[in-house]
Amino acid sequence: MQINTKWFGTVEIDDAKVITFEKGLIGFEDCTRFAIVYETENEKDNKIMWLQSLEEQALALPIIKPEFIIDNYDPVVEDELIYGLGENVKEEDLVVFVTMTVPQDITKMTCNLKAPIIINSATMKAIQVVAVNEDYVVRFPIYEILKERKEKAGE
Amino acid sequence: MLALSRKKDEAIIINDNIEVKILEIKGDQIKIGISAPKSVPVYRKEVFAQIQEANKEASESVDMEKLKKLF
Repeated sequence: MQINTKWFGTVEIDDAKVITFEKGLIGFEDCTRFAIVYETENEKDNKIMWLQSLEEQALALPIIKPEFIIDNYDPVVEDELIYGLGENVKEEDLVVFVTMTVPQDITKMTCNLKAPIIINSATMKAIQVVAVNEDYVVRFPIYEILKERKEKAGE
Repeated sequence: MLALSRKKDEAIIINDNIEVKILEIKGDQIKIGISAPKSVPVYRKEVFAQIQEANKEASESVDMEKLKKLF
């Protein structure tokens, strides 16, 4: 199917790649269908991806795999909330992303460790949940971390 | 909004299966106990509002070029 994206114009995606958030995203409860889009063809080259709404072209959130930010990210979530992802959810099918905010002053960039996006790749159902972990904050500064990582990678 | 007066150790029931009980009253702070099925998410409102706000801001991100330089 063809979808209209905020950043990359009209993009062709496989129907099987449509992600359903039955309860929407927090603050965007009416938007339930999304797809992950990125700039280059090779998924591995894309550390930043976009969670693009299929209902609202202007709604696209930058997301990243938590392992690019911190080691051992382990959000604790009630099992009952995970049941919303389908029956017999297998841990190995779950894919976790965190959303990022990128203000004008990019040094103030943060990611949201408190409310990860969890996708069940077997059912393509997803939820945004609030982690119980007290030490995970909604605005975790990441500019310095990303900069350091890049410098290290360049060495 | 429905307003109900409750004393310490009194409770209210919502939707037959959620109980909200006043556990302690100390000055301007009240301790509330909530018994709800685990499938019902319960959050402090500030946290929920922060997440809403962060999601909104995330969707308003961004200078793409600046962002790309970081990776």
